[in-house]
Amino acid sequence: MTEPGHTRPMTGPLEGIPLPDLEALPDYEEGFWQGALSHVLRIQQCAECLVFRHLPTPMCPHCHSTSYSWTAVSGQGEVYSFVVVRHPVHLAIREKNQLPYNIAVIQLEEQDGLRICTNVLNVAPEEIFIGMPVQVTFMVPAGQQEVVLPLFVPA
Amino acid sequence: MTTNITAVDTNGIKDKAAIVGIGETEFSWNSGRSEIQLACEAIKAACDDAGISPQDVDGLVRYEMDSNQETLLVQSLGIKNLRHWECVAYGGGAGNAVVGHAAAAVAAGFGNYVVCFRAANLRSGVRLGQAGGPERITGGQRAFAEPWGNLAPGHQFGMFVRRYMHASGATSRHFGWVAVTLREHASRNPRALRREPFTIDEHQNSRMVAEPLHVLDFCQENDGAAAMVLTTPERARNLRHSDQIVLVEAAAQGSGPQNEGIIYRPDLAVAESTNTSRDLWARARLGPEDIDAFMFYDHFTPFCLLNLEAYGFVPIGEAKDFVEGGQNIRFDGLLPTNTHGGNHSEAYIHGLTHPQEAVRLIRGTSTAQPPHKTINRVLSCSSVAQLSAAVIIRRG
Ligand SMILES: [Zn+2]
Repeated sequence: MTEPGHTRPMTGPLEGIPLPDLEALPDYEEGFWQGALSHVLRIQQCAECLVFRHLPTPMCPHCHSTSYSWTAVSGQGEVYSFVVVRHPVHLAIREKNQLPYNIAVIQLEEQDGLRICTNVLNVAPEEIFIGMPVQVTFMVPAGQQEVVLPLFVPA
Repeated sequence: MTTNITAVDTNGIKDKAAIVGIGETEFSWNSGRSEIQLACEAIKAACDDAGISPQDVDGLVRYEMDSNQETLLVQSLGIKNLRHWECVAYGGGAGNAVVGHAAAAVAAGFGNYVVCFRAANLRSGVRLGQAGGPERITGGQRAFAEPWGNLAPGHQFGMFVRRYMHASGATSRHFGWVAVTLREHASRNPRALRREPFTIDEHQNSRMVAEPLHVLDFCQENDGAAAMVLTTPERARNLRHSDQIVLVEAAAQGSGPQNEGIIYRPDLAVAESTNTSRDLWARARLGPEDIDAFMFYDHFTPFCLLNLEAYGFVPIGEAKDFVEGGQNIRFDGLLPTNTHGGNHSEAYIHGLTHPQEAVRLIRGTSTAQPPHKTINRVLSCSSVAQLSAAVIIRRG
Protein backbone atom coordinates (compact mmCIF):
# COMPACT_ATOMS: atom_id res chain seq x y z
CA MET A 1 0.00 0.00 0.00
CA THR A 2 1.14 3.50 -0.82
CA GLU A 3 0.77 6.17 1.85
CA PRO A 4 -1.52 9.09 0.95
CA GLY A 5 0.42 11.71 -1.02
CA HIS A 6 3.13 9.24 -1.88
CA THR A 7 4.05 8.29 -5.42
CA ARG A 8 3.34 4.84 -6.78
CA PRO A 9 6.18 2.32 -6.33
CA MET A 10 8.03 0.67 -9.19
CA THR A 11 6.85 -2.90 -9.60
CA GLY A 12 9.24 -4.09 -12.30
CA PRO A 13 12.18 -3.10 -14.47
CA LEU A 14 12.05 -0.08 -16.80
CA GLU A 15 11.06 -0.74 -20.40
CA GLY A 16 12.67 0.26 -23.67
CA ILE A 17 15.99 1.57 -22.38
CA PRO A 18 19.49 0.29 -23.21
CA LEU A 19 20.39 -3.27 -22.20
CA PRO A 20 23.65 -5.16 -22.55
CA ASP A 21 24.32 -7.28 -25.62
CA LEU A 22 25.30 -10.55 -23.95
CA GLU A 23 27.09 -11.70 -27.11
CA ALA A 24 29.35 -8.65 -27.16
CA LEU A 25 30.45 -8.32 -23.54
CA PRO A 26 34.11 -8.46 -22.48
CA ASP A 27 34.93 -11.92 -21.07
CA TYR A 28 35.51 -10.51 -17.58
CA GLU A 29 31.91 -9.22 -17.34
CA GLU A 30 30.00 -12.25 -18.60
CA GLY A 31 29.64 -14.05 -15.26
CA PHE A 32 27.46 -11.32 -13.75
CA TRP A 33 24.92 -11.53 -16.56
CA GLN A 34 25.06 -15.33 -16.84
CA GLY A 35 24.33 -15.51 -13.11
CA ALA A 36 21.32 -13.20 -13.51
CA LEU A 37 19.95 -15.45 -16.28
CA SER A 38 19.67 -18.21 -13.69
CA HIS A 39 18.45 -15.79 -10.98
CA VAL A 40 21.65 -15.85 -8.95
CA LEU A 41 23.56 -12.69 -8.01
CA ARG A 42 27.15 -13.55 -8.89
CA ILE A 43 29.94 -11.09 -8.09
CA GLN A 44 33.49 -11.30 -9.37
CA GLN A 45 35.85 -12.57 -6.64
CA CYS A 46 39.63 -12.79 -6.82
CA ALA A 47 40.76 -16.43 -6.75
CA GLU A 48 43.98 -15.47 -4.95
CA CYS A 49 43.12 -12.86 -2.30
CA LEU A 50 39.34 -13.52 -2.27
CA VAL A 51 38.45 -9.80 -2.43
CA PHE A 52 35.17 -9.14 -4.27
CA ARG A 53 35.04 -6.48 -6.94
CA HIS A 54 32.38 -4.62 -8.87
CA LEU A 55 32.63 -3.15 -11.53
CA PRO A 56 34.26 -6.26 -12.97
CA THR A 57 37.87 -5.87 -14.11
CA PRO A 58 40.34 -8.21 -15.83
CA MET A 59 42.85 -7.89 -12.97
CA CYS A 60 42.49 -7.78 -9.20
CA PRO A 61 43.41 -4.23 -8.09
CA HIS A 62 44.66 -5.58 -4.73
CA CYS A 63 46.94 -8.53 -5.58
CA HIS A 64 47.02 -8.24 -9.39
CA SER A 65 45.90 -11.77 -10.04
CA THR A 66 43.97 -12.35 -13.26
CA SER A 67 42.23 -15.43 -11.79
CA TYR A 68 38.73 -14.98 -10.48
CA SER A 69 35.46 -16.77 -9.87
CA TRP A 70 31.84 -15.67 -10.08
CA THR A 71 30.72 -16.21 -6.52
CA ALA A 72 27.06 -16.36 -5.56
CA VAL A 73 26.42 -13.73 -2.88
CA SER A 74 23.49 -13.56 -0.46
CA GLY A 75 21.69 -10.74 -2.26
CA GLN A 76 21.23 -8.96 1.07
CA GLY A 77 22.30 -5.39 1.42
CA GLU A 78 21.22 -1.86 2.20
CA VAL A 79 20.57 1.32 0.25
CA TYR A 80 23.80 3.37 0.09
CA SER A 81 22.37 6.22 -1.98
CA PHE A 82 19.47 6.80 -4.37
CA VAL A 83 17.97 9.27 -6.81
CA VAL A 84 14.32 9.70 -7.70
CA VAL A 85 14.04 10.52 -11.38
CA ARG A 86 11.17 12.88 -12.15
CA HIS A 87 12.21 14.12 -15.60
CA PRO A 88 12.60 11.81 -18.62
CA VAL A 89 15.92 11.88 -20.45
CA HIS A 90 14.99 8.91 -22.67
CA LEU A 91 12.08 8.70 -25.10
CA ALA A 92 10.92 5.33 -23.74
CA ILE A 93 10.62 6.76 -20.23
CA ARG A 94 8.31 9.52 -21.49
CA GLU A 95 6.33 7.47 -24.01
CA LYS A 96 5.64 4.61 -21.63
CA ASN A 97 4.81 6.91 -18.68
CA GLN A 98 7.53 5.42 -16.49
CA LEU A 99 8.03 8.42 -14.21
CA PRO A 100 8.87 8.65 -11.45
CA TYR A 101 11.37 5.87 -10.95
CA ASN A 102 14.23 5.40 -8.52
CA ILE A 103 17.85 4.46 -9.11
CA ALA A 104 19.64 3.06 -6.09
CA VAL A 105 23.17 2.07 -5.16
CA ILE A 106 23.14 -0.97 -2.89
CA GLN A 107 25.92 -1.79 -0.44
CA LEU A 108 26.12 -5.61 -0.47
CA GLU A 109 26.63 -7.28 2.88
CA GLU A 110 29.67 -9.34 1.87
CA GLN A 111 32.26 -6.57 1.80
CA ASP A 112 32.52 -2.88 2.72
CA GLY A 113 32.38 -0.73 -0.43
CA LEU A 114 30.96 -3.54 -2.61
CA ARG A 115 28.08 -1.78 -4.35
CA ILE A 116 25.83 -2.26 -7.33
CA CYS A 117 23.38 -0.05 -9.18
CA THR A 118 19.73 -1.12 -9.33
CA ASN A 119 16.10 -0.11 -8.72
CA VAL A 120 14.22 -0.73 -5.48
CA LEU A 121 10.76 -2.16 -6.20
CA ASN A 122 7.52 -2.22 -4.20
CA VAL A 123 8.23 0.92 -2.20
CA ALA A 124 7.14 4.51 -2.80
CA PRO A 125 10.10 6.78 -3.57
CA GLU A 126 9.26 8.85 -0.49
CA GLU A 127 9.78 5.78 1.70
CA ILE A 128 13.25 4.85 0.45
CA PHE A 129 16.05 5.82 2.82
CA ILE A 130 19.80 5.41 3.19
CA GLY A 131 20.40 2.27 5.22
CA MET A 132 17.14 0.62 4.14
CA PRO A 133 17.60 -3.20 4.18
CA VAL A 134 16.94 -4.79 0.79
CA GLN A 135 17.00 -8.19 -0.86
CA VAL A 136 17.72 -9.11 -4.48
CA THR A 137 15.08 -10.38 -6.89
CA PHE A 138 15.24 -11.03 -10.63
CA MET A 139 12.97 -9.91 -13.47
CA VAL A 140 12.93 -9.74 -17.25
CA PRO A 141 12.31 -6.29 -18.77
CA ALA A 142 9.10 -6.24 -20.82
CA GLY A 143 9.41 -6.82 -24.53
CA GLN A 144 12.58 -8.88 -24.55
CA GLN A 145 13.83 -12.29 -23.49
CA GLU A 146 17.63 -12.24 -23.53
CA VAL A 147 18.50 -10.28 -20.39
CA VAL A 148 17.48 -10.77 -16.76
CA LEU A 149 18.05 -7.87 -14.37
CA PRO A 150 18.84 -8.07 -10.65
CA LEU A 151 16.50 -5.72 -8.78
CA PHE A 152 15.92 -5.22 -5.07
CA VAL A 153 12.90 -5.24 -2.78
CA PRO A 154 12.62 -4.20 0.89
CA ALA A 155 13.92 -7.02 3.08
CA MET B 1 45.62 -0.68 -2.16
CA THR B 2 47.29 2.57 -1.15
CA THR B 3 45.53 4.36 1.64
CA ASN B 4 48.10 6.98 2.64
CA ILE B 5 49.04 9.17 -0.27
CA THR B 6 51.80 11.74 0.14
CA ALA B 7 51.69 14.95 -1.84
CA VAL B 8 53.91 15.53 -4.85
CA ASP B 9 55.17 19.05 -4.25
CA THR B 10 57.40 19.56 -7.29
CA ASN B 11 56.23 22.66 -9.13
CA GLY B 12 58.04 22.76 -12.46
CA ILE B 13 55.60 25.25 -13.99
CA LYS B 14 55.62 27.85 -11.21
CA ASP B 15 55.33 31.33 -12.77
CA LYS B 16 56.81 30.07 -16.06
CA ALA B 17 53.68 30.68 -18.13
CA ALA B 18 51.50 33.77 -18.47
CA ILE B 19 47.91 33.86 -19.64
CA VAL B 20 48.02 36.68 -22.20
CA GLY B 21 44.74 36.29 -24.05
CA ILE B 22 41.20 35.11 -23.40
CA GLY B 23 38.39 34.96 -25.92
CA GLU B 24 35.05 33.39 -26.60
CA THR B 25 32.17 33.29 -29.05
CA GLU B 26 28.71 34.36 -28.03
CA PHE B 27 26.93 31.68 -25.98
CA SER B 28 23.64 30.44 -27.46
CA TRP B 29 21.10 27.65 -27.68
CA ASN B 30 21.82 27.26 -31.38
CA SER B 31 25.02 28.68 -32.80
CA GLY B 32 23.95 28.01 -36.39
CA ARG B 33 27.50 27.13 -37.39
CA SER B 34 30.06 24.35 -37.23
CA GLU B 35 32.10 23.50 -34.16
CA ILE B 36 35.32 24.15 -36.10
CA GLN B 37 34.11 27.66 -36.89
CA LEU B 38 33.33 28.24 -33.21
CA ALA B 39 36.84 27.04 -32.33
CA CYS B 40 38.47 29.33 -34.87
CA GLU B 41 36.42 32.33 -33.74
CA ALA B 42 37.24 31.81 -30.05
CA ILE B 43 40.95 31.27 -30.75
CA LYS B 44 41.00 34.40 -32.97
CA ALA B 45 39.33 36.37 -30.17
CA ALA B 46 41.88 35.14 -27.62
CA CYS B 47 44.75 36.02 -29.98
CA ASP B 48 43.24 39.50 -30.55
CA ASP B 49 43.08 39.96 -26.78
CA ALA B 50 46.74 38.94 -26.52
CA GLY B 51 47.82 41.07 -29.48
CA ILE B 52 49.20 38.22 -31.59
CA SER B 53 48.16 36.66 -34.88
CA PRO B 54 46.62 33.16 -34.87
CA GLN B 55 49.39 32.33 -37.35
CA ASP B 56 51.87 32.64 -34.47
CA VAL B 57 50.13 29.99 -32.36
CA ASP B 58 52.39 26.93 -32.23
CA GLY B 59 50.74 24.84 -29.54
CA LEU B 60 47.18 23.50 -29.17
CA VAL B 61 45.75 21.80 -26.10
CA ARG B 62 42.38 20.25 -26.82
CA TYR B 63 39.75 18.50 -24.72
CA GLU B 64 39.50 14.85 -25.73
CA MET B 65 35.75 15.33 -26.20
CA ASP B 66 36.35 18.24 -28.57
CA SER B 67 35.72 17.21 -32.16
CA ASN B 68 38.00 19.82 -33.73
CA GLN B 69 41.07 18.13 -35.13
CA GLU B 70 44.44 19.85 -35.11
CA THR B 71 45.01 19.51 -38.86
CA LEU B 72 41.91 21.49 -39.81
CA LEU B 73 42.65 24.08 -37.13
CA VAL B 74 46.16 24.54 -38.52
CA GLN B 75 44.70 24.88 -42.00
CA SER B 76 41.94 27.30 -40.93
CA LEU B 77 43.99 29.51 -38.62
CA GLY B 78 47.00 29.68 -40.92
CA ILE B 79 49.30 28.29 -38.25
CA LYS B 80 52.79 28.26 -39.71
CA ASN B 81 54.34 25.52 -37.59
CA LEU B 82 52.48 23.61 -34.92
CA ARG B 83 55.15 22.46 -32.47
CA HIS B 84 53.00 20.98 -29.75
CA TRP B 85 49.58 19.36 -29.64
CA GLU B 86 47.83 17.18 -27.12
CA CYS B 87 44.39 16.37 -25.87
CA VAL B 88 43.50 16.03 -22.21
CA ALA B 89 41.20 13.10 -21.49
CA TYR B 90 37.42 13.49 -21.15
CA GLY B 91 35.22 16.59 -21.12
CA GLY B 92 34.55 18.20 -17.75
CA GLY B 93 37.49 16.20 -16.39
CA ALA B 94 39.74 18.25 -18.67
CA GLY B 95 38.39 21.55 -17.34
CA ASN B 96 41.19 23.60 -15.79
CA ALA B 97 43.55 20.68 -16.56
CA VAL B 98 44.03 22.08 -20.08
CA VAL B 99 45.37 25.31 -18.53
CA GLY B 100 47.92 23.35 -16.51
CA HIS B 101 48.93 21.36 -19.57
CA ALA B 102 49.29 24.50 -21.71
CA ALA B 103 51.40 26.10 -18.96
CA ALA B 104 53.57 22.97 -18.83
CA ALA B 105 54.08 23.08 -22.59
CA VAL B 106 55.19 26.72 -22.36
CA ALA B 107 57.44 26.00 -19.36
CA ALA B 108 59.06 23.12 -21.23
CA GLY B 109 59.62 25.27 -24.30
CA PHE B 110 57.47 23.04 -26.49
CA GLY B 111 55.73 26.08 -27.92
CA ASN B 112 55.92 29.88 -27.79
CA TYR B 113 52.18 30.55 -27.91
CA VAL B 114 50.11 27.66 -26.64
CA VAL B 115 46.32 27.79 -26.90
CA CYS B 116 43.85 25.74 -24.92
CA PHE B 117 40.26 25.78 -26.09
CA ARG B 118 36.84 24.12 -26.01
CA ALA B 119 34.31 24.51 -28.83
CA ALA B 120 31.07 22.58 -29.11
CA ASN B 121 27.41 22.67 -29.99
CA LEU B 122 26.38 20.99 -26.75
CA ARG B 123 22.75 22.09 -27.21
CA SER B 124 21.96 22.08 -30.92
CA GLY B 125 24.24 19.05 -31.38
CA VAL B 126 24.48 15.97 -29.18
CA ARG B 127 23.30 16.80 -25.65
CA LEU B 128 25.07 15.23 -22.68
CA GLY B 129 21.91 15.31 -20.58
CA GLN B 130 19.80 13.28 -23.02
CA ALA B 131 19.93 9.54 -23.67
CA GLY B 132 19.39 8.07 -27.14
CA GLY B 133 16.92 5.53 -28.49
CA PRO B 134 16.87 1.74 -27.98
CA GLU B 135 20.32 0.27 -28.20
CA ARG B 136 22.46 -2.57 -27.00
CA ILE B 137 25.44 -1.86 -24.75
CA THR B 138 28.61 -3.82 -25.40
CA GLY B 139 29.82 -3.78 -21.80
CA GLY B 140 31.63 -1.45 -19.43
CA GLN B 141 30.15 0.76 -16.73
CA ARG B 142 27.17 1.73 -18.93
CA ALA B 143 26.00 -1.90 -18.93
CA PHE B 144 25.95 -1.79 -15.13
CA ALA B 145 24.02 1.50 -14.98
CA GLU B 146 21.68 2.17 -17.90
CA PRO B 147 19.41 -0.91 -17.67
CA TRP B 148 18.17 0.57 -14.36
CA GLY B 149 17.62 4.01 -15.84
CA ASN B 150 20.92 5.51 -14.65
CA LEU B 151 21.22 7.38 -17.92
CA ALA B 152 22.46 10.92 -17.40
CA PRO B 153 24.94 12.98 -15.35
CA GLY B 154 22.14 14.21 -13.06
CA HIS B 155 21.45 10.62 -12.04
CA GLN B 156 25.06 9.80 -11.20
CA PHE B 157 25.84 13.08 -9.48
CA GLY B 158 22.53 12.95 -7.64
CA MET B 159 23.91 9.85 -5.88
CA PHE B 160 26.82 11.97 -4.63
CA VAL B 161 24.54 14.74 -3.52
CA ARG B 162 22.19 12.43 -1.58
CA ARG B 163 25.14 10.88 0.20
CA TYR B 164 26.70 14.28 0.90
CA MET B 165 23.42 15.50 2.42
CA HIS B 166 23.32 12.38 4.59
CA ALA B 167 26.89 12.93 5.81
CA SER B 168 26.85 16.72 6.28
CA GLY B 169 23.27 17.62 7.09
CA ALA B 170 23.19 19.98 4.10
CA THR B 171 19.76 20.47 2.54
CA SER B 172 18.49 21.45 -0.87
CA ARG B 173 18.05 24.96 0.51
CA HIS B 174 21.83 25.30 0.90
CA PHE B 175 22.27 24.36 -2.75
CA GLY B 176 19.58 26.93 -3.49
CA TRP B 177 21.71 29.71 -1.98
CA VAL B 178 24.50 28.74 -4.37
CA ALA B 179 22.06 28.84 -7.29
CA VAL B 180 20.61 32.22 -6.27
CA THR B 181 24.11 33.70 -5.96
CA LEU B 182 25.36 32.36 -9.29
CA ARG B 183 22.30 33.76 -11.01
CA GLU B 184 22.77 37.12 -9.34
CA HIS B 185 26.33 37.21 -10.71
CA ALA B 186 25.08 36.26 -14.16
CA SER B 187 22.47 39.04 -14.05
CA ARG B 188 25.40 41.49 -14.26
CA ASN B 189 27.11 39.64 -17.13
CA PRO B 190 25.97 40.43 -20.70
CA ARG B 191 27.56 37.19 -21.97
CA ALA B 192 25.34 35.09 -19.71
CA LEU B 193 22.55 32.93 -21.13
CA ARG B 194 20.41 33.04 -17.99
CA ARG B 195 20.17 36.47 -16.37
CA GLU B 196 16.81 36.59 -14.59
CA PRO B 197 17.38 36.54 -10.81
CA PHE B 198 15.30 34.15 -8.67
CA THR B 199 14.67 33.82 -4.97
CA ILE B 200 15.50 30.97 -2.62
CA ASP B 201 11.81 30.05 -2.54
CA GLU B 202 11.66 29.96 -6.33
CA HIS B 203 14.60 27.56 -6.23
CA GLN B 204 12.86 25.40 -3.66
CA ASN B 205 9.66 25.36 -5.69
CA SER B 206 11.38 24.67 -9.01
CA ARG B 207 10.78 21.38 -10.79
CA MET B 208 12.45 18.32 -9.30
CA VAL B 209 14.51 16.60 -12.00
CA ALA B 210 16.67 13.98 -10.30
CA GLU B 211 15.73 14.26 -6.65
CA PRO B 212 17.48 15.69 -4.62
CA LEU B 213 18.46 17.90 -7.59
CA HIS B 214 16.03 20.62 -8.70
CA VAL B 215 16.15 21.99 -12.23
CA LEU B 216 17.78 25.16 -10.83
CA ASP B 217 20.68 23.04 -9.52
CA PHE B 218 21.69 22.02 -13.05
CA CYS B 219 24.13 23.78 -15.37
CA GLN B 220 23.12 24.87 -18.86
CA GLU B 221 23.51 22.90 -22.06
CA ASN B 222 24.49 25.37 -24.77
CA ASP B 223 26.57 26.11 -27.85
CA GLY B 224 29.75 28.15 -27.83
CA ALA B 225 33.52 28.21 -27.57
CA ALA B 226 36.25 29.65 -25.38
CA ALA B 227 40.03 29.87 -25.73
CA MET B 228 43.08 31.08 -23.83
CA VAL B 229 46.61 31.94 -25.05
CA LEU B 230 49.63 31.19 -22.86
CA THR B 231 53.23 32.21 -23.38
CA THR B 232 56.34 32.96 -21.34
CA PRO B 233 56.30 35.90 -18.88
CA GLU B 234 59.12 37.47 -20.93
CA ARG B 235 57.01 37.51 -24.11
CA ALA B 236 54.00 38.66 -22.09
CA ARG B 237 55.82 41.89 -21.27
CA ASN B 238 55.78 42.83 -24.96
CA LEU B 239 52.13 42.00 -25.58
CA ARG B 240 48.86 43.89 -25.24
CA HIS B 241 48.33 43.31 -21.52
CA SER B 242 51.97 44.00 -20.56
CA ASP B 243 50.78 46.05 -17.58
CA GLN B 244 48.59 43.21 -16.29
CA ILE B 245 50.71 40.06 -16.27
CA VAL B 246 48.72 37.00 -15.18
CA LEU B 247 50.72 33.91 -14.22
CA VAL B 248 49.95 30.25 -13.68
CA GLU B 249 51.38 29.58 -10.24
CA ALA B 250 50.51 25.91 -9.75
CA ALA B 251 48.38 23.16 -11.26
CA ALA B 252 47.31 19.67 -10.27
CA GLN B 253 45.08 16.83 -11.36
CA GLY B 254 43.84 13.91 -9.33
CA SER B 255 41.86 10.74 -9.58
CA GLY B 256 41.49 8.39 -6.65
CA PRO B 257 40.76 4.66 -6.83
CA GLN B 258 37.61 3.05 -8.25
CA ASN B 259 36.87 5.96 -10.54
CA GLU B 260 35.18 4.03 -13.35
CA GLY B 261 31.44 4.50 -13.33
CA ILE B 262 31.46 7.32 -10.76
CA ILE B 263 29.20 5.69 -8.16
CA TYR B 264 31.68 3.06 -6.93
CA ARG B 265 34.15 5.51 -5.37
CA PRO B 266 35.09 4.79 -1.75
CA ASP B 267 33.07 7.68 -0.29
CA LEU B 268 30.43 9.43 -2.37
CA ALA B 269 30.15 12.25 0.16
CA VAL B 270 33.64 13.52 -0.66
CA ALA B 271 34.60 15.35 -3.85
CA GLU B 272 37.35 13.85 -5.94
CA SER B 273 39.07 17.22 -5.47
CA THR B 274 40.61 15.99 -2.22
CA ASN B 275 43.19 14.21 -4.37
CA THR B 276 43.97 17.37 -6.35
CA SER B 277 43.89 19.67 -3.33
CA ARG B 278 46.69 17.79 -1.58
CA ASP B 279 49.15 18.30 -4.46
CA LEU B 280 47.97 21.79 -5.38
CA TRP B 281 48.63 23.34 -1.98
CA ALA B 282 51.95 21.48 -1.63
CA ARG B 283 53.12 22.71 -5.03
CA ALA B 284 51.97 26.29 -4.52
CA ARG B 285 53.20 26.38 -0.91
CA LEU B 286 50.00 28.24 -0.19
CA GLY B 287 46.74 27.63 1.62
CA PRO B 288 43.10 28.65 1.27
CA GLU B 289 43.79 31.88 3.21
CA ASP B 290 45.95 33.08 0.30
CA ILE B 291 43.11 32.87 -2.23
CA ASP B 292 41.07 35.97 -3.10
CA ALA B 293 38.40 34.37 -5.30
CA PHE B 294 37.16 30.86 -6.02
CA MET B 295 36.01 29.38 -9.33
CA PHE B 296 34.45 25.91 -9.14
CA TYR B 297 33.04 23.67 -11.88
CA ASP B 298 29.34 24.08 -11.29
CA HIS B 299 27.78 21.25 -13.28
CA PHE B 300 25.57 20.91 -10.22
CA THR B 301 25.28 23.52 -7.44
CA PRO B 302 26.06 21.15 -4.51
CA PHE B 303 29.61 20.80 -5.80
CA CYS B 304 30.24 24.31 -4.46
CA LEU B 305 29.97 22.85 -0.96
CA LEU B 306 31.96 19.71 -1.70
CA ASN B 307 34.80 21.72 -3.26
CA LEU B 308 34.88 24.37 -0.53
CA GLU B 309 35.52 21.49 1.85
CA ALA B 310 37.93 19.59 -0.41
CA TYR B 311 40.17 22.65 -0.82
CA GLY B 312 40.00 23.46 2.88
CA PHE B 313 38.21 26.80 2.68
CA VAL B 314 35.96 25.42 5.40
CA PRO B 315 36.20 22.30 7.59
CA ILE B 316 34.44 19.15 6.37
CA GLY B 317 30.70 19.45 6.97
CA GLU B 318 30.70 23.24 7.44
CA ALA B 319 30.22 24.43 3.88
CA LYS B 320 26.47 24.49 4.42
CA ASP B 321 26.87 27.20 7.02
CA PHE B 322 29.33 29.10 4.81
CA VAL B 323 26.94 29.29 1.83
CA GLU B 324 23.80 29.97 3.90
CA GLY B 325 22.25 33.23 2.72
CA GLY B 326 24.81 33.52 -0.09
CA GLN B 327 26.68 36.51 1.38
CA ASN B 328 30.04 34.77 1.78
CA ILE B 329 30.19 33.58 -1.84
CA ARG B 330 28.80 36.75 -3.44
CA PHE B 331 31.14 38.93 -5.50
CA ASP B 332 31.25 41.40 -2.60
CA GLY B 333 31.61 38.70 0.05
CA LEU B 334 34.37 36.90 1.90
CA LEU B 335 35.17 34.51 -0.95
CA PRO B 336 33.83 35.78 -4.30
CA THR B 337 32.76 32.62 -6.13
CA ASN B 338 31.99 32.11 -9.84
CA THR B 339 31.56 35.83 -10.41
CA HIS B 340 30.73 35.18 -14.09
CA GLY B 341 27.69 33.08 -13.19
CA GLY B 342 29.44 29.80 -14.02
CA ASN B 343 28.19 26.80 -15.95
CA HIS B 344 24.98 27.34 -14.05
CA SER B 345 23.97 30.69 -15.53
CA GLU B 346 26.64 32.13 -17.84
CA ALA B 347 27.38 29.17 -20.11
CA TYR B 348 28.63 25.61 -20.06
CA ILE B 349 31.92 25.47 -21.97
CA HIS B 350 33.18 22.50 -20.00
CA GLY B 351 34.83 24.65 -17.35
CA LEU B 352 37.08 26.80 -19.53
CA THR B 353 35.15 29.96 -18.67
CA HIS B 354 36.24 29.59 -15.05
CA PRO B 355 39.99 30.22 -15.54
CA GLN B 356 38.97 32.94 -18.02
CA GLU B 357 37.00 34.65 -15.26
CA ALA B 358 40.04 34.29 -12.99
CA VAL B 359 42.00 36.32 -15.54
CA ARG B 360 39.28 38.98 -15.68
CA LEU B 361 39.20 39.27 -11.90
CA ILE B 362 42.96 39.85 -11.78
CA ARG B 363 42.73 42.38 -14.62
CA GLY B 364 39.83 44.05 -12.81
CA THR B 365 37.40 43.56 -15.69
CA SER B 366 34.84 41.12 -14.32
CA THR B 367 31.21 42.23 -14.63
CA ALA B 368 30.93 41.34 -10.93
CA GLN B 369 34.29 42.75 -9.88
CA PRO B 370 34.64 42.61 -6.08
CA PRO B 371 34.44 46.24 -4.90
CA HIS B 372 36.05 45.58 -1.55
CA LYS B 373 39.35 43.96 -2.41
CA THR B 374 42.02 43.59 -5.07
CA ILE B 375 42.06 40.12 -6.57
CA ASN B 376 45.64 38.90 -6.70
CA ARG B 377 45.19 35.15 -6.65
CA VAL B 378 42.36 32.88 -7.82
CA LEU B 379 41.82 29.14 -7.43
CA SER B 380 39.93 27.59 -10.34
CA CYS B 381 38.94 23.95 -10.01
CA SER B 382 36.95 21.19 -11.67
CA SER B 383 35.60 18.13 -10.00
CA VAL B 384 33.41 15.87 -12.08
CA ALA B 385 33.23 13.15 -9.46
CA GLN B 386 35.89 10.72 -10.59
CA LEU B 387 38.40 13.21 -12.02
CA SER B 388 39.49 16.59 -10.77
CA ALA B 389 41.87 19.37 -11.69
CA ALA B 390 42.79 22.83 -10.47
CA VAL B 391 45.00 25.81 -11.21
CA ILE B 392 46.10 28.75 -9.14
CA ILE B 393 46.29 31.90 -11.24
CA ARG B 394 47.98 35.01 -9.83
CA ARG B 395 48.90 38.58 -10.58
CA GLY B 396 52.47 38.78 -11.97
ZN1 LIG C 1 43.34 -10.40 -5.50
